[in-house]
Formats: sequence, C-alpha cells, structure tokens
Amino acid sequence: MSASLAPECNESKERYDTCFLRWYSDKFLRGSAQTNDCDSLFRTYSACLTRALKDRGIDNMVQEARNEAQETDAEHLVKGRIPPS
Amino acid sequence: MVKVYSQNYAYDYPFATVTLAYFLRYPNPYSRHVLSTDVLDRTFDPATQRLYTTRLHLKRSRLPAAVVKLLPRSLLGASANGDSQAYILERSVVDVREGWMATESRNLELTTVLDVIERQTYKRPLEAKGNFGDEGTEVATTVTLHSRLGQRFRRARESAAEAPQGNFLARWSQASLQSTIESIGLNRASKSQPNAMEGMKIVMERLRHGGMVAVLEGMRKDREAS
Repeated sequence: MSASLAPECNESKERYDTCFLRWYSDKFLRGSAQTNDCDSLFRTYSACLTRALKDRGIDNMVQEARNEAQETDAEHLVKGRIPPS
Repeated sequence: MVKVYSQNYAYDYPFATVTLAYFLRYPNPYSRHVLSTDVLDRTFDPATQRLYTTRLHLKRSRLPAAVVKLLPRSLLGASANGDSQAYILERSVVDVREGWMATESRNLELTTVLDVIERQTYKRPLEAKGNFGDEGTEVATTVTLHSRLGQRFRRARESAAEAPQGNFLARWSQASLQSTIESIGLNRASKSQPNAMEGMKIVMERLRHGGMVAVLEGMRKDREAS
C-alpha cells in the first residue's frame, strides 16, 4: 500500500485502504454498493491526516487548491467532462 | 498562452481493472519519485453509483532543472534547488453504471511559474458487455501547461485577462520566458506520460495474475526498493 505523508497515520490509513479496496472490488464495481462501508475507518484515518496537514502547515494550501479546483469545474461542465461533485 | 499535450490510448484490460489500478498505481517500479499518497475525501452517491475521490500525492522534484535556472532564487525559496518535493491534488469520479472515470491532477505550489493540470477520461468501449468484459478500456489524456511568471495576481489562477505590467519590451520578454517554461514542461510531460502508463500496466498485470494479493505483495517490494 502507498505510504501516508505522515508516518503516524500509516496504520489507520492501511486499515482504511484495505477496507476500501475490498468494498471497491466486491461491491462498487459490481454495482451492488448501497453504502460506503468504510466510513468509520475513514474518519479515524482522516482525523490523523487532518492533524498532520495542520502540523506541517499545509492545511490552508490544500484547502485553497481544493476550492480552486471546484471553481474551475464550471469550465469542464460546459465541455461535459467532469460532473459536479 | 497555454501549451497542451494530448494522447489517446487503449488499455488491454477491463474497465474494472483499470479503475482499480488507478487507485492502486503507487507504488510501482515507475513511481520511485512518489513519496506518499493520502485520501483527503471520498464520497459515494448510491443514487448515481458514482464515487468521488480527492487525494494528495507528494512527489520528489519540483521543477525541471532548466526551469530552475531561469528563475530568481527568491521565487524558489531558501531550500529549493529544483530537487525538492511537490504536492499534487488529484480528483476523480468513477461512474460504474455508465462505465467511465474522469480524473484531474494539479500542482499545488508555484502555480504562477508553471501550472500543470492533467486530465484523463477512461471509458469502457460502447460494445463492452460490462465492467469486467475483455473489450479493453479507452483513455484520453490532456496535460495543460500554463505559466504566468512575472504577472502579478492576488491569486494565481484568478484572472488571466489582466494585462501584464511594464512596457512593450518587458511584456515581450515576459511572454517569451513563459513560453520557454511551458515548452520545458511540455517536453517533460511527453516523457513522463509513457512511464505513467507503464506503471499502470504493471499494476494491472499483477491484478490479472494474482489478484489483490499479488498487487499488495508487489507494492511491498516496490516500497522497500524505493
């Protein structure tokens, strides 16, 4: 599995990734997914990652990039490329 | 000014395998420069059967050496010598019902110097019987390179319409520098794209022969080797 940028999050990331890959291949790809089964594992990993981004002082940069990406989606919507999230 | 690299390709693997490989593509033997991958957000919409993912990758090497030579040190920061680290924001949507995946990756830093946005659309062919059929998967890639070096903006991508500062000569040399940087980026994209595809193929080959277990075992080895 790919490593997290924060070594302290590797364990919770690996647990989440394992769950996600199973859900993705067994349910999602077969069109039989009803819910995202790995939500609680994701929340644990995400809490760790959010802290790590803040500690490294990159949380704002990441948030700005995400906002900007959302804004430019409008252009691609016109071209029919990326649907809204 | 903007430069664009584009390519169409077809993978000899089912749509299901290709999308799984996309999420699993790091680490692979062609991705030694990728240091980490994190999931920032993942949303599943049961009504449309679409999966939205936002990830953050950390890669070695920020700018091509040729670009670094063109830039004032003040822009690069104290520690940067071109052999630094770069964060990449990756967003993707998989529509499992309609059989397509759209992806977008962009650099987070130094977007004024060179803004690189890679977009891909993966599609199962019209004649495909499903996500697991052996009809292959089509992929269209475009990489858009845009330099705004020398232009003063409150925010990097905000308004390309604003006129650059200075007289005609200054504007001309600025445009020429931007174009040079975009060309270097274009050259790099045309070299790195085939490697990215080879990396995907290795992950898909592991999936084909040994399933998930083989992929995870291969990843462990790639991680140890890097």
